[in-house]
Amino acid sequence: MKVTICIGSSCHLKGSRQIVEQLQYLVKENHLEDKVELGGTFCMGNCVNGVNVTLDDKLYSLSPETTKDFFDNEILSKVQ
Amino acid sequence: MNNLCTDIGYLSLNKWGEQLCGDRVEIVEQGENSTVIVLADGMGSGVKANILSSLTSKIISTMMAANMRLEDCVSTIASTLPVCAVRGVAYSTFTIIHIIENEEAEIIQYDNPLLILIRDGKFVEIPKTGTEIEGKMIYKSKISLQENDFLFTMSDGAIHAGVGDSLNFGWERKDIIEFLEMMYDQSYTAKTYASILLEECNHLYGGHPGDDTTVCVVKVRDRSQVNLMIGPPSDRKDTNKMLSLFFSKEGKHIVCGGTTSTITSEFLKKPMIADLDYLDPEIPPTAKIEGVDLVTEGVITISKVLEYAKDVITDNTSYTQWGYKRDGASLISRMLFEEATDINFFVGRAINPAHQNPNLPINFNIKMRLVEELSECLKKMGKRIKVSYF
Repeated sequence: MKVTICIGSSCHLKGSRQIVEQLQYLVKENHLEDKVELGGTFCMGNCVNGVNVTLDDKLYSLSPETTKDFFDNEILSKVQ
Repeated sequence: MNNLCTDIGYLSLNKWGEQLCGDRVEIVEQGENSTVIVLADGMGSGVKANILSSLTSKIISTMMAANMRLEDCVSTIASTLPVCAVRGVAYSTFTIIHIIENEEAEIIQYDNPLLILIRDGKFVEIPKTGTEIEGKMIYKSKISLQENDFLFTMSDGAIHAGVGDSLNFGWERKDIIEFLEMMYDQSYTAKTYASILLEECNHLYGGHPGDDTTVCVVKVRDRSQVNLMIGPPSDRKDTNKMLSLFFSKEGKHIVCGGTTSTITSEFLKKPMIADLDYLDPEIPPTAKIEGVDLVTEGVITISKVLEYAKDVITDNTSYTQWGYKRDGASLISRMLFEEATDINFFVGRAINPAHQNPNLPINFNIKMRLVEELSECLKKMGKRIKVSYF
């Protein structure tokens, strides 16, 4: 599955770096490098609800605090 | 007619404890392609030296640029300068570099350390002839310039660096030449090279310069154009016009901003691939679009570039950051400060509604001001700037 994180100005200021780093860490920790592809994108045109993250084209709105839950509920549960 | 131009950079250290510098660099442009650069070192230090060198450099540069004879310039100075009460003479040394049509340099030297020419990384001796004018021995040379010539002129504070302290006889000219050859990098700007030399002087002085020290560098280089686009046009209908104009320009292309890069990717029909590596935690990662030399985020990255630019025109200490780092802001800085001589800004005035949130430090006015301030700084670096709004 492909996870794309917005790294545009607005999302950057709302913490996309922390989210990227958390996801990179979690993917490694769970040995999912082959199954989960992380990517970046610039503005998705939905800045008001940032940080914007898409998981196989479905849009999610994350913050650094909710990233772990997102990973557990949306990624981990689906790949296993 | 050639495609060469000059990049001039200079920097001074004040004698320890002095608030004014007794050295002065004056630059007068003589039409499009000719320039007169004067470095004067006034006798003594502080206010007196400052007045002597200011008068000398100003008089010579103005008279030379008006094509007056050298003899007249020198005699004007001799009869104008106030006479020092302690030593009974009016005195300021000077070096004149007269760049003619960016092809030739006429070099006139009086009592400053002799000018150093570094060509392709190696020192080249410049032939000179001596003439006595008003009892002063003045050396003249004329050389034809080549791309990537670096001319170094300095006040005697440089060759006296560390005298009797870290070095017995100061930093001799041959040692300076060796240092310059060792540090050589063709991509350096004149200002960066001047800073490197001056920093070494300061280091040899142990941070307490015993004399005013000034280094002025003239780099001969090719003109090179860089184009930077930031922001989508205020009217969506202008998108194609803006992008066609932008990509029709010669030289490298930088695209800044999320929406801007998205419309670029649509225009070029090439995918945008964003990077996820935070090379600098402050600066969002860059992206790639085939056909664009550099794609970065907008406001945050440009703010950092502006911060670097402000430093370049003052103390020039941050080149150790932007000079090698790979984040978006450093990459833009290198392209604008080092590579470019002519810069075209394409600024779109669309307002991003998401940025108008009072909690975010990136609203529309800030973006417009950033570009204006950045253009001002770049002009001060000697770049030719054109800004077009859409």
